[in-house]
Amino acid sequence: MSTLTALARLKAVRDGTAQRITTVRHCHLAPRPMVFVPLQLAGEALAPLGAMVGADPDHPRLLVVPQPRNRDLRFAFAAELAEVLLPYVEGFAKTTETVERRGGDPYERCLDAPQILVPNRSAAAFAGLLGRSTRFRRADGPYPVHPSVPLLGRWLTYFADRSRRPGSCLMMSMTEALSAHWATGQSALEDANLAALVGWIDPPAGMDGRRAAEEAEDPLLWPPAGPATDPGFDNEVLGPAVRAYEEAPTARAVERVAQALRTQLEPTWRLMWRAVELLRALPEGSRVAGRWETDRGSFTRFLELVAEGGPPQARRDGAVGAAARLAALERARASYDVQRAYDDPLVMAEYRLTGEAFTGTVVSADPENTEGEGRSRKLRPLVTVRTADPARLTPGAVLGSPDRRGHAAEVVEVDGDEITLKVTKGMGRGKVAAPGAVPEPGERVTYTTLTDDFQSSAALPEPERTPWTHGGPPEEYVPDDDDAREEWS
Amino acid sequence: MDALERRIADLRAEVRRAVKAREHSLARSLRGELRRMEHEWDRAVGAEELPAPEPEAPLLPIREQVHQALALLGVPAAPKLIVAVNDAFFSRALRGSQFTSLRRDEERSFRSDPYARPYYLCSALTDRLSPARGLLAVSTWAPELRVLGPLSPRVDFLTSAVRVAEHLARLPEPPPGAVRLLTRMAQNIPGAAEGFAPADPVTAIRAARAELEVHRAADAAQRAEVAARAGRLLPDVERLFGAAALGALRGAAC
Amino acid sequence: MRGRLDELRGPVPPRAHDARAIAALAANPGCARRAVLDAAGVDKDLTARHVGFPAPFGQSQFAITRGNVFEALVKENGCAELLRLLRELLGLPIAQVGYQDVESVGSHLRHSHTRALIDRAAREGDDAAVFYDHPLLSLRIAGQTSYLEPDVVAFQVGGRFHIVEIKSFAVIDGQAEPEKVAAAARQAAVYVLALRALLADLGHDPERVSHDVVLVCPENFANRPVATLVDVRRQLAVLRRQLDRMTRVDHLVEELPPGITFDLAPDSEGTPTRPAREVAGALRQVPARYAPDCLSTCDMCMFCRDEARCGGSTDQLGRQVRDQLGGVLGVDEALALAEGAAEPAEGQEEIAQLLRLAHRLREECLG
Repeated sequence: MSTLTALARLKAVRDGTAQRITTVRHCHLAPRPMVFVPLQLAGEALAPLGAMVGADPDHPRLLVVPQPRNRDLRFAFAAELAEVLLPYVEGFAKTTETVERRGGDPYERCLDAPQILVPNRSAAAFAGLLGRSTRFRRADGPYPVHPSVPLLGRWLTYFADRSRRPGSCLMMSMTEALSAHWATGQSALEDANLAALVGWIDPPAGMDGRRAAEEAEDPLLWPPAGPATDPGFDNEVLGPAVRAYEEAPTARAVERVAQALRTQLEPTWRLMWRAVELLRALPEGSRVAGRWETDRGSFTRFLELVAEGGPPQARRDGAVGAAARLAALERARASYDVQRAYDDPLVMAEYRLTGEAFTGTVVSADPENTEGEGRSRKLRPLVTVRTADPARLTPGAVLGSPDRRGHAAEVVEVDGDEITLKVTKGMGRGKVAAPGAVPEPGERVTYTTLTDDFQSSAALPEPERTPWTHGGPPEEYVPDDDDAREEWS
Repeated sequence: MDALERRIADLRAEVRRAVKAREHSLARSLRGELRRMEHEWDRAVGAEELPAPEPEAPLLPIREQVHQALALLGVPAAPKLIVAVNDAFFSRALRGSQFTSLRRDEERSFRSDPYARPYYLCSALTDRLSPARGLLAVSTWAPELRVLGPLSPRVDFLTSAVRVAEHLARLPEPPPGAVRLLTRMAQNIPGAAEGFAPADPVTAIRAARAELEVHRAADAAQRAEVAARAGRLLPDVERLFGAAALGALRGAAC
Repeated sequence: MRGRLDELRGPVPPRAHDARAIAALAANPGCARRAVLDAAGVDKDLTARHVGFPAPFGQSQFAITRGNVFEALVKENGCAELLRLLRELLGLPIAQVGYQDVESVGSHLRHSHTRALIDRAAREGDDAAVFYDHPLLSLRIAGQTSYLEPDVVAFQVGGRFHIVEIKSFAVIDGQAEPEKVAAAARQAAVYVLALRALLADLGHDPERVSHDVVLVCPENFANRPVATLVDVRRQLAVLRRQLDRMTRVDHLVEELPPGITFDLAPDSEGTPTRPAREVAGALRQVPARYAPDCLSTCDMCMFCRDEARCGGSTDQLGRQVRDQLGGVLGVDEALALAEGAAEPAEGQEEIAQLLRLAHRLREECLG
């Protein structure tokens, strides 16, 4: 947490309403996202209780497991979920674009990709567990399941994996997305309650955010957004309904459980779509589309992997896989942080606060300055900026600027509140700098030590050459009946 | 009908509020009211539906079903295992809840008219001669079989695994439920099962007997001591159903 | 001292702590309110409800049932599952299978029977049983005895006692939720401490109780139990330190104004009759250290949160925010510094400068 966000939280306390901590939206928002609100039975590792799912706010599909401890009913739930989710996901495979690559063959990429919105981090984790418990199942052999079940498992595993990657928007947790854009007057812990968070951001008429959030904590007014249910609901409503189903599994008994679950799911369902509107109202940051392109590429590759009949994801990463995954996550985190700062002056302000960036006015410029003689003579325009920011820079530091793409400069001298830079990149190929490439006196500019060109990750061996000190090469996955026999009670 | 549904929803909320506030008596009365409304709702929607059929009366009385399962196992067993055996080999549905009054009824029957029945379902006795929690035995078994030393739970578990396997091996078409039961048991006996694969009765018997050999002599000696003490100190009824806790102290070794 | 604590509590028996409550004592060691209430054995749950701030805790019947079913499964057939696990995990020899159900003596004798059995085990070594089911241990905390029920005490592996903790949260592909494992470890540490105290009391070496506890959980999505050794040395150290502090609540109590009490004046049915305002007033005389983490551990959390909010304390926003505010404790104070409406006090110059810059930057970007 930065001092800037801490200050925003203080203001939220005083004003009774959430405060913006960005000026733009940093996540992609699909024109037609799919909302998935799952519930699970308390005390079990993974016993789906029901879910509301769909891409049409007015017509959610309600899935119900009348006896969550029954294994067959659980797989029926998975099959039903697959019926909704898979056609949505596969629908994006139809239209693709051809992407040219420098030094490589052109490849196909889907024009758009699915986006699944879940209420919170735990719901994304639930999706991952449901994926884990279904992807190894088989349509033949002992305990056969519907063929869509293992496929659903692989997709859910994929989405849950992506949801842990900073900047990826294929599966997004709503509380995390909202918290990335607004600061509330409560703690981060309490922000995990979707209803309370939305209450702070967009309180109902005649109520301030604090009051709305307090009301949202009453499980009778606002059922928890899941996957965990309210214990009072379990004991007073769900328990009797499930017992009634056990005694007589009639359509009426199923309806009673469905009715009970609907009361718990519907408020969250509406809240999810309200949250979508809140996010949609923010203007999109300029690098969001680029990140979504990465998501589309990843989606396309996984789609191909599934089509080629590749094996389901392993239970655990091998040593090389785990190291590569960690390195990729770290790169994604760093790149996401930098991109947000470049897209958003309010995010950049956090770095200005710590001295890693500054904004100021150009007081003088020498656009024709050169360095070296003869053939090694280079154009190095000089720019002096006056700033009130507490920049902490030393001569030689390399800087980038959100004002000009491809622009780079180096610190020459820091003298009180004046910083002199020499421009090193982004001036075009001519003998003089391209028009507009060098900031002019009077212009307001921002420079930062943050840059988005990261060194490629440390070289890792191929998985099949994993050294024995790291467990040796991972075993190749061979599907067998033990996977299906793995008890699921 | 809508009004009824609204009332039910309101009542549910009130019940939960009362529970949260720990107003137990209020919660109880609200719950009662809620049940009445729910039944009314059930009646209103289900007027045309037939009532759920009464569960079929079992052909065999419960005590006889339990006796049959215990006879198969040959050692004191907990209701859960008895239910599992009954389910696996006789495809009958017993429920754990049906056991609650069983032992008490047997004791009452014995007290009012001793030895009138050919057998009684009785308790297994601990080394303090108190009834062992949750274990049932048969009165006609040898006294050493109806008492427990510290090793007996393991010995009895291994013995029952052997008995289940032997019974299974005799059946031309082993019921899948029984194979699953044996597999679960065998997984806890060294060398009796491999991974999740269905257990083979012959292997299971060999493995269980191998471990039994290790414990048998010590267990037999301990049981003989407890049985002798029970025979010496307890009246007939307590020899079957166990001494009350305080009474047991008289003869307890420690 | 005891008399002063009795006064604070009022004429009701002190609330006994179970292992979970004792483990939670270590959660917020700096909170004087909690230390005093616990030392005096005040019923915090009832108190919080009476003053109008019930804690948002509750347990689902499904979770309770699941926990009971799993524990029964691990223990059935003379702990057959547990035996397999201990043989795999600790190399328990085949001959060691003895099982003692401590509860067979009836509940009133459980504690003394546990003592006798543990004493015998510690003396006899090899001939003793492996499993002691339903044991009842005790621990003296700030002058009162709390009775504790570990799931199982296992003996015999290298002549050492192990606490076995059975939990129904799943271990999936070798991983469990870290918070749940941490909570189980804290709870098990309480049992280790109690069993060590018992051995010491009986004149045996307390170190014969292993600091490795056996955590038994269901594996993946099935009921099949899997066991892991969890080293609880760190939790033991934290716990000891906190219990030590609790026995030294004297100075906290001495600082309280004379005549203060948390007595709820319950009627014959246990319903509090003392005006809630009075009780709340008494509570406010003992300083709390509220943090959002309290919301999952302490019965008083909603009362203290409300207090933090009404008092405009930055505690309500969590430690992450506080860390950014360099010792400025009030929301209004921090905002005044940021907006230049107040001059920094001595030692606040640096944080004031940072806050003012932050304020300027926000204004500039959003303005």
